[in-house]
Amino acid sequence: MSVAPVKARTDRLQAGLKARYARERRFKLYGVMAIAVAVGFLLLLLGRIIEQGHTAFYAHELTIPVYMDPARIDRTYPQGTNFQLLVAEQQLARFGITDDAQGTQATAMRTLLSSELKFRAAAMIRENPALIGQTVPVTAPVSDEADLYYKGEITAETPSDQRRVSDQQMAWLDQLKSDGAVQAKFNSALFQNGDSTEPEQAGVLGAVVGSALMLLVTALIAIPIGVGAAVYLEEFSPRNRLTDLIEVNINNLAAVPSIVYGLLGVALFINWMNLPRSSPLVGGLVLALMALPTIIIATRSSLKAVPPSIREAALAMGASKTQTVFQHVLPLAMPGVMTGTIISMAHALGETAPLLLIGMVSFVPGIPGGLTEPTGALPSLVYIWENASERAFHERTAAAILVLLAFMIVMNAAAILLRRRFERRW
Amino acid sequence: MKLPFFHNPAKASDGREGGASDNPGLPLMGGQIVPGVTDTTRPDETRDESFLTPEPEADARGAPAAQRVPAVTAASGTAGPTKIMARDVSVFYGEKQALYDVSLDIPDKTVTALIGPSGCGKSTFLRTMNRMNDTIQGCRVTGRIEMDGNDINTKAIDPVLLRAQVGMVFQKPNPFPKTIYENVAYGPKIHGLTTNKTELDGVVEASLKRAGLWEEVADRLHSAGTGLSGGQQQRLVIARAIAVNPEVILMDEPCSALDPIATAKIEELIDELRERYCIVIVTHSMAQAARVSQRTAFFHMGRLVETGNTEEIFTNPRERRTLDYITGRFG
Repeated sequence: MSVAPVKARTDRLQAGLKARYARERRFKLYGVMAIAVAVGFLLLLLGRIIEQGHTAFYAHELTIPVYMDPARIDRTYPQGTNFQLLVAEQQLARFGITDDAQGTQATAMRTLLSSELKFRAAAMIRENPALIGQTVPVTAPVSDEADLYYKGEITAETPSDQRRVSDQQMAWLDQLKSDGAVQAKFNSALFQNGDSTEPEQAGVLGAVVGSALMLLVTALIAIPIGVGAAVYLEEFSPRNRLTDLIEVNINNLAAVPSIVYGLLGVALFINWMNLPRSSPLVGGLVLALMALPTIIIATRSSLKAVPPSIREAALAMGASKTQTVFQHVLPLAMPGVMTGTIISMAHALGETAPLLLIGMVSFVPGIPGGLTEPTGALPSLVYIWENASERAFHERTAAAILVLLAFMIVMNAAAILLRRRFERRW
Repeated sequence: MKLPFFHNPAKASDGREGGASDNPGLPLMGGQIVPGVTDTTRPDETRDESFLTPEPEADARGAPAAQRVPAVTAASGTAGPTKIMARDVSVFYGEKQALYDVSLDIPDKTVTALIGPSGCGKSTFLRTMNRMNDTIQGCRVTGRIEMDGNDINTKAIDPVLLRAQVGMVFQKPNPFPKTIYENVAYGPKIHGLTTNKTELDGVVEASLKRAGLWEEVADRLHSAGTGLSGGQQQRLVIARAIAVNPEVILMDEPCSALDPIATAKIEELIDELRERYCIVIVTHSMAQAARVSQRTAFFHMGRLVETGNTEEIFTNPRERRTLDYITGRFG
């Protein structure tokens, strides 16, 4: 035989090989591009939220000498005193403004001070009544608008219809700052308080506790029922028309819009069972209903993935069906079960629509002390703050989103650590 | 004895020719390895709770190996007393019939090989003996299977208890993803055969020794059973099966996933286990059937074609189909 055919064959092979490698390179490139786009969007999103929200983590406080005027303070009821006005008038006097017969100047000054001042001053008097008649320094947050001015979000260039700080107030604020009365501090109110109509006093703690209680209810209900249902359907139930129907319906339920679960929650838990509206109990129940199909589906598929040889081994050893399932099959399926559970819990944490329907969008200033007390939740707090008219809530909305993300990351990390302990090879 | 096919001189001469009775060189399993304790007492205890076995059997099984030997005299392939008796056993998977009227006597303390081409029903038949077919939906078994004269398919017999007496070893080694110790201890634990840790340790050690694995794993009992080699895993699985002291061990192609050296070890082990247990082995390898079994049953198309002493089946089969199969004309 001649050499030519062999050479032709090699050439063809080589040409084909080149094309194959080119295809591989192209595919890798697509992959890298896809990841780059995904990471890009993620960074954009996170960057935007952090950029908007980071200012909410600090706030400005004012330390101001206050003459505890015995004529204005009721010894028996110090908290009834209008400390804000008192301080405002004293400050005006310090600035040398005396012609305030209408009281408009004092009011303008007063709005720069947070109502928190009143509580702090009253608390000081209550602790030590001897302070009355003396001049003592009182530290309190500035109002939200003043805070925004110090943070540079409102400036003299801001059109006057978009700000609630007048040019005169700005001058006062500059004066206070140059007097050294103003300090930027970590905004501990954001983490220690419940919701409030005053932005400088509004915090996420109530919502965090509410979300945590709700997730607790969801986990306690959805995980045992979901895993139990999946184990029964997968390992014990006969395969017949009824179980087929159930399976189809579970798959459909996983795709039902969450707001429908909210409607169901209103009808079932609030109207029919008369459980308290806005409570973590009802929220948790609704979210549990929503999480169930996901948990069942994930558990079933991970039970299916357990090699049948393990089941046979256990059965042939004389283990009963239940022993086989709970001592061998379920432990092996545990990582998959955990993954499904993590996903559905994370989903439940971020779910907003059903919560709006069961009353979690209402304003709840307190921190819930139990499962039946009214509460907010992190996602609904984000929704409420985003719709608030005060400008200072915008940065706090972003901060609440960051807290929500941190909550989710902590929860998922804990679950993943737990899952790793279950992981075994076979 | 001369086997015309697949003759393996080494195996045939020391494994089968000798037999248990007249080969003092063979280790007398329990008595020699486990000092008395587990071996002589445990069978009796188990037997007391037995649901199947009539009492006289208990004495025979509980006795030291040396006294039991006469019953075993299987050197030439003659079988012990019938342990399992199958009559007109048919198996259906839904509409499809997989096994047709199989009637077979399986003697005690003997290795019975089930051979035949793929899909001939030999594994199906094997699984009727510990009712593993119950776990397959749509599977139906008709006919009668008796173990020591008791029908195992009646409602009165719990398959869980049956399987405590009929151990099974599968084609692919399937140790639990737990430690070696936990694998072997699992059976005694769930059946409550031991009362304390020391006793359980004894059973684990004895079982591993009997399965010829003790030397290799004694120093790593608490490492993963799945970390062993394929052959070791299969011996671990055998140790797990014998830890509950069953009467019958079913083996479904136990060597088909193993290399020749591991296979030789398992075959040697089977030959040793024959002294104490009734062993039924399904195999694709006719050489293996010839090497380890005393009785052979040939299945074809869901029917039992021929059964007899292994050497007769391999030297002088009565049926044309058997001859065709063992000479490699089909299958």
